[in-house]
Amino acid sequence: MRAAARGRDVLFFQQVLNGLTIGCVYALVALGLTLVYGILRIPNFAHGALYTVGAYAAFALIGRLGANFWLALAGAAAVSAGLAVLSERLVFARLRAAPPLHDMIAAIALLLFFEAGVQAVFGAGFFRIAPLFPQILRFAGLTAPAQRILIVGAAFALMAGLHLFLDRTWTGATIVASAQNRTGAALVGIDADRVSMLTFAISGALAAVAAVLFAPIALLSPAMGELVITKAFVIIILGGMGSVAGAIAGGLVIGFAESFGAFYVSTDFKDIIAFGLLTLILSVRPQGLFGRIAR
Amino acid sequence: MLTLDEVCLDYGAFRALDRLSLAAAEGALVVLLGANGAGKSSIFRAVSGLHRLAAGRISLGGRDLAGVSPAGVVRAGLVHCPEGRMLFPAMTVEKNVRLGAYVHRRDRAGVKRGLDEVMAMFPVLAEKRHQPAGSLSGGQQQMVALGRALMGRPKVLLLDEPSLGLAPLVVRQMFDAVAAVNRRGTTVLLAEQNAHAALGIASHAYVVEGGRIVLDGPPDALRNDDRVRRAYLGG
Repeated sequence: MRAAARGRDVLFFQQVLNGLTIGCVYALVALGLTLVYGILRIPNFAHGALYTVGAYAAFALIGRLGANFWLALAGAAAVSAGLAVLSERLVFARLRAAPPLHDMIAAIALLLFFEAGVQAVFGAGFFRIAPLFPQILRFAGLTAPAQRILIVGAAFALMAGLHLFLDRTWTGATIVASAQNRTGAALVGIDADRVSMLTFAISGALAAVAAVLFAPIALLSPAMGELVITKAFVIIILGGMGSVAGAIAGGLVIGFAESFGAFYVSTDFKDIIAFGLLTLILSVRPQGLFGRIAR
Repeated sequence: MLTLDEVCLDYGAFRALDRLSLAAAEGALVVLLGANGAGKSSIFRAVSGLHRLAAGRISLGGRDLAGVSPAGVVRAGLVHCPEGRMLFPAMTVEKNVRLGAYVHRRDRAGVKRGLDEVMAMFPVLAEKRHQPAGSLSGGQQQMVALGRALMGRPKVLLLDEPSLGLAPLVVRQMFDAVAAVNRRGTTVLLAEQNAHAALGIASHAYVVEGGRIVLDGPPDALRNDDRVRRAYLGG
């Protein structure tokens, strides 16, 4: 009897950790998406491709150039940030006066373009990045893969860093101000182009970091970003479009729902849970769980 | 200090400003009178770089402002406090005011001093400094907007309808503040529908109709003009 109860506790802890891990990955991706949406009102579907490109960039840096994990992480963040800024300058900045639908079409085109690019360079096969910490940690009878602890720790550190940046620095304040009132921001002398580029760079870097941290657990494939970006959209709709706190909370909610859903219901339903929750929550609270930072 | 020379501004096919010229000398308090849609806000949008000119020239202290971005205009010493206030509603009062000093952010002591001055000017803001600006009353939000504009250390300040929708007592307080800012040497352009109060503090006034200047002169002359009395002073 007691052994069975103990087994249930261990399994429960396992699901909490799994939910936390995947929730952190979702939250990092959703944060970038919500920042870009909050400031520029662009639903950036290409954000999923920045995730994919980040993972492959790290894979190449480790496999072909022999970089260590941290260097590859930084390199991947730089590559995705660079691509994000380029897509802002070359595509979205030129569409600023166009109807919103054009942004959406351009974002989908970019997604397909980047995916095809990845496939052209690396092929359609699956790859894996070796975990930085392959060890299994044991504590008080519970076990946890070290890589999952790393993901959770790094994600929370990044989120705290992002919060401090937005809340305490002049540069961060330019992003928050632009999200709340673009005209007001221009009139105090904030350069709108700089804010756009900076926001895209941050979103790309966050997506890449999420992808590289998660890559040792998942697999790399050219379409790996598609399900993640779809769920990130669910998350920012749940959390309130443009809300930073909402993206973090929403990411964790979806992460836990998937992890527990897969365990207690069925793995087959795992990917449906996010969309089921979306339907349920929006029918009760059409504005999402949180308000957005802009009003 | 600020001159507009034959300025035209279009919103699509609609010509909002039609070869409009005006000037504000250094230290002046110039009032723009006009009905809704006469073009007062368009003049400000043109000057602050929010909207591109179709034709004409705007110069600030001898410098041509053509093609200068809104941020560039602020750095050149002209701050536009817009109609509708355009605050950052979820940010605290203090952060809103502080962000007004964005172009002077490296001068930390100066920013702190400016913030203290604004809080001394409007003590009610000091009480509410940690509340979100969006939670304040209209009059208090207007104080935040004016405070934020002053933090940009303007040589020229554009104020668009600061009395709109405010209680008479608050309007009075607002006009006193504007007059005080002007006395300290800031050139002010004030767009107003409240002609009585505005003419009371003006050094010169323009009447705007249909995107043109139809009349201008010292406040006393305008007060005695029949057209102005009928249209703006209630007979």
